[in-house]
Amino acid sequence: MLKRTMFLMLLPAVALYTLFVAYPFASSLGLSFYDWAGIGPKTFIGLDNYRNVLSGFMSTEFYRAFNHNWVFFFWSLVLSVVPGLFFAFLLAANMKGSGWLKVVFFFPNTLSIVVVGFLWSLLLNPQWGLVNQLFKAVGLGFLAHPWLGDMKLALPTIIFVTAWRGLGFYVLVYLAAMLGIDREETEAARIDGATETQIAFRIILPHLMPIIATTSILKFIWTFNIFDIVYAMEGSQGGPAGTTDVLGTLFYRIAFGGLGSSQTGMGLGATVVTLIFLVVFPVSILYVFVLEKRVERNA
Amino acid sequence: MKKMAAFAIVVTMAAAAWAAGGTEKGAAAPGASKAPAAVVSVWGWRSQDVDVWKAAEAALQAKGENVSIKYEVFPPTEYDSKLLVSLQGGVGPDIMYTRRLPGARTQALMDNNYLVALDGKVDLSNFTDVSLSFIRSGGKTWGVPFANQIVGIFYNTEIFAKYGLKEPATWAELLATAETLQKNGVTPFFATAKEAWTLAMQNAMVGVSYPGDAWIGKLAEGKAKFTDPEYVGMLKDLNDLKRYYQKDFSANVSAEQDVTFGMGQAAMVFYGIWGTTNWLKTNPDLKFGYFPIPPKDASLPAKAYTYMDGSYGLNAASKVQDAALKILGYAGTPGYGEAFSSLTGEMTALKGVKMPADRPVLVECYGLMNTIASTNRYWVGSPFDAGSPSVYNILQENMQAMYLDAITPEDLAKKLQDGISVWYPAFKK
Repeated sequence: MLKRTMFLMLLPAVALYTLFVAYPFASSLGLSFYDWAGIGPKTFIGLDNYRNVLSGFMSTEFYRAFNHNWVFFFWSLVLSVVPGLFFAFLLAANMKGSGWLKVVFFFPNTLSIVVVGFLWSLLLNPQWGLVNQLFKAVGLGFLAHPWLGDMKLALPTIIFVTAWRGLGFYVLVYLAAMLGIDREETEAARIDGATETQIAFRIILPHLMPIIATTSILKFIWTFNIFDIVYAMEGSQGGPAGTTDVLGTLFYRIAFGGLGSSQTGMGLGATVVTLIFLVVFPVSILYVFVLEKRVERNA
Repeated sequence: MKKMAAFAIVVTMAAAAWAAGGTEKGAAAPGASKAPAAVVSVWGWRSQDVDVWKAAEAALQAKGENVSIKYEVFPPTEYDSKLLVSLQGGVGPDIMYTRRLPGARTQALMDNNYLVALDGKVDLSNFTDVSLSFIRSGGKTWGVPFANQIVGIFYNTEIFAKYGLKEPATWAELLATAETLQKNGVTPFFATAKEAWTLAMQNAMVGVSYPGDAWIGKLAEGKAKFTDPEYVGMLKDLNDLKRYYQKDFSANVSAEQDVTFGMGQAAMVFYGIWGTTNWLKTNPDLKFGYFPIPPKDASLPAKAYTYMDGSYGLNAASKVQDAALKILGYAGTPGYGEAFSSLTGEMTALKGVKMPADRPVLVECYGLMNTIASTNRYWVGSPFDAGSPSVYNILQENMQAMYLDAITPEDLAKKLQDGISVWYPAFKK
């Protein structure tokens, strides 16, 4: 009886999951074995799409985008975790105005990513954008650059903007974890003569490792699904000259052709999506595993 | 002001249609008005056409046609996907905007019998063969063209007059013009290299004059190559031209160009006729002109890159095909073309239409369409855009790379030749 009730209670969630997650993925996986422009009959071509993406005419673009996703993940992780921990430490020390600072840190997170991309595109305009104007005003004109039009700077700039927007989330998560640490531990360490740095690195940081692992895994999953911020700041081409192209924008161009191009390739696009899934899925499993460990530890 | 103008056009068109169709249609109208109007749905990607369809509905109703037009606009980047999914689900529009041919999107609509061939159903005699060629396939016409575009160099006539400059007739004169402007502290060109499509367009518009229309014809036949000296030379000259662009041009977009050119802070832009509306919105007093890209060799004619922008197609599954055909028939008349150009500030695809007198550049370009349009091309509306990778896609990324000195003009030419050779039959040989 209990089992039946549990099954019935699970049914709505399973139905929604099947409808919106499992079915679209299975459909996409199936599509990756076909040549299909998005309309009309599909032609079964076996593994040709995978061959084209992994070693054929799409391989250069695919590996370049794949590499950009990795660079994006690494640097946005560094720019999220390190400042996130730093500001969380400051806020945990209950410094004056910390309440307002929490709002300031979290505010960018409340903005839509497209709005963030648009606003930063204005700020980074090379001629009249605020960033370059500020550099020039304080005598640092040599730092003024065409941020989004420079092949070396465009990707780091987008990573910075992404990290800026997400910082508040990391600060709040780490702060919550810090506030959950038993005060007796840190106070005992102080009595024993430990410095604040020793307390931070020997007591607080080890306590935060599980949450850092969790947020890092989440960051990986988000980064390999990234599309919107690149699209908002550089368009579907991932310019300049493909230097900000990621798997999300590559998929968009292949599947929908992009504005002005006449080619659409739903099958090839589905192949890219499947490959993204193959990268993200094991990490998602790891995430669930880490999460379960944490629950067990806290239980 | 714009709404008043639109209202005036609607009233004028309705009155004209009533007067023209007068007696016999007038007699039918009272009877027709008793039945509910046939609602014809139209889907498109152009928000600027809303008033055009209102005017068309008013004109048709004034002629006694019992039709109502329901126009829905979708973002250009989403339109094609939305249309494909809807047609497959059996809920598509009666009339759909279609992209020009050659192109996989419209080809797919034809191949899967979603479109009706309009020959014999709609009078297409008011269109030029060039306009119709962009929507003809297999000897049939699959849509009613609505707009033609022309691209080239638009320039600020007041700045030119101030420095005693005239429209350059050769590439050397273009460089001399840019040099004079730069020496006088004027930005000769405002380029928008962050939007890669504008660079592909720039390359193509230069190509029709230099290396020239005939050379592109040979290229299409496989008798010339992108790696030939004529084309590589063009790329080198184009790359050298960047010294006359504004500083940091690689990070600018066309919305910024609208403001800069509109406010007279740059003398010239490589762009299309559709940009004029935004420039005039920025500065209604802006005085500007147009000239095609001057050829390198003075003996070659200057040519303009022109193309048909899109057409109205009839859904084969439409339940109101008779009413839809009346609308399409009207869209093929000069009256419709006049309303289209007046309300959108763009060039109708119809011939023999009087362009709005308050838009002298539009009047000039409409005339140039019939005199200096290139017959061969390698960007949109060309055979090189019908496969993957298309010339469009190769140019977008690699023009940026060339301008940023990441590749040489020779590299770009080789990438084009190698990329197109993958699928283009004449290059495969």
